[in-house]
Amino acid sequence: MNDSRYCDNPDVLISYLYEDGPGEERLAFEAHLRQCARCAAEVASLRAVREDLAAWAPPETVLDFRIVRDPAPVKSRWGWTSAMPAWAQLAAASLVIGVAAGISGLEVRYGNDGLIVRTGWNQPVATRPADATPVAQAEGADAPWRADLAALQEQLRGEIRQSVPAAGAMPVSMAAAGGGRAMSDAEFLARVKQLVEASEARTEREMALRMAEVVRDMDAQRRADLRRVADGIGVLEGRTGAVTVQQREMMNYLMRVSQK
Amino acid sequence: MTVTDEELVARCIAGDTESFNQLILRWERPIYALAYRQLGREEDARDVVQDAFLRAFRALPGFKGEAKFSSWLYRITLNLCRDVMRRAKRAPFVQAPEGVDVGDLVSTETTAAESIEDVVTRKDLGRHVARAMSRLPEEQRAAILLKEYHGLTFQEIAELQGCPLSTVKTRLYQGLTVLRRELQRNGTSTARSESRTP
Repeated sequence: MNDSRYCDNPDVLISYLYEDGPGEERLAFEAHLRQCARCAAEVASLRAVREDLAAWAPPETVLDFRIVRDPAPVKSRWGWTSAMPAWAQLAAASLVIGVAAGISGLEVRYGNDGLIVRTGWNQPVATRPADATPVAQAEGADAPWRADLAALQEQLRGEIRQSVPAAGAMPVSMAAAGGGRAMSDAEFLARVKQLVEASEARTEREMALRMAEVVRDMDAQRRADLRRVADGIGVLEGRTGAVTVQQREMMNYLMRVSQK
Repeated sequence: MTVTDEELVARCIAGDTESFNQLILRWERPIYALAYRQLGREEDARDVVQDAFLRAFRALPGFKGEAKFSSWLYRITLNLCRDVMRRAKRAPFVQAPEGVDVGDLVSTETTAAESIEDVVTRKDLGRHVARAMSRLPEEQRAAILLKEYHGLTFQEIAELQGCPLSTVKTRLYQGLTVLRRELQRNGTSTARSESRTP
């Protein structure tokens, strides 16, 4: 019997292939397959495909998923800050920094000498309000530190006078300026400024030299370490690669021998 | 006596997290297999398994038990796989290597009943099946995977894919027909030549 209800009917074919549906229907389709070579071949070939599908297995892997409940969060002593809005936190931080700067006597200045940051209470006040100047000068006229300052000034002048004849390396203009006569205040200040500048230049030169030495040493050490690491990796790769190649060759040899 | 999935789900909804871990232990392998066969990449499959269980755990209070827990989990997994494929804008990736490493086979795959040659043949066929499956449309591939490897009924697949029963059977038939053609083209199939043109 070649029942056309079953030919080209994937619904019936698939139900039969997967052993689904009522028994009578299956029996009827089996009877059809005995009569219809085309449907029989179709069922056989699809059954073979199903057998092939069994060869596809996912790779082994470690699956270790677990649901773990988090413990109750510990309340932080700073937890209240998270409830504050960002602007409030920013304002509080600015206030704290401002108060701290005021207490520490922070002074930040940027000029020809670069950026200068100073802290502490011992810094002289650079500027005063205009209306306060006469009062401050009047108050400072008979201050005890004026005598100390005058003594220090005299001592410095004396030392400079003594050092001038021995200073062969002094610039000609300065030697002429300091040659045997008392220096004016302007010359004295210029001389002090020159000495300070020379000292700063010398310090900078020494610092640059030290830095260059440190950088050179660090670079040399880094290169030596990298070379050692590269050598170590090369040795390791050589060893593991040789062992792996040996094992593969042995297995392939066994494979070939077993096939003969 | 084995505790059913539904009982474990009820316990978990009542607050027993360990019951859900038992469900994970029971279903992580099938879910991983489904995700791997859909995506073809081990790392992606592992990520999907983790996401699927996490989503299921979070959505468990809303699980009404209208479908089986496993069907619900399969649906979540297939949705996540679809997301991964859409994000990557790609068809399933066939991860199997070109050659078969005999050393690997000897160390892990052979059993007393199966020779090295058998293992090599099986691995080779598996690789061709993976490649052929990657050429199927997503719905056909999912239908075949759920039927062949997970044993779902036509009705369960229909509910899971949201389509009529006849559509599921058509997808299976068309998918198997394409697989047969692909495998015969590679000369790896045990299937005889097809008798009718789809």
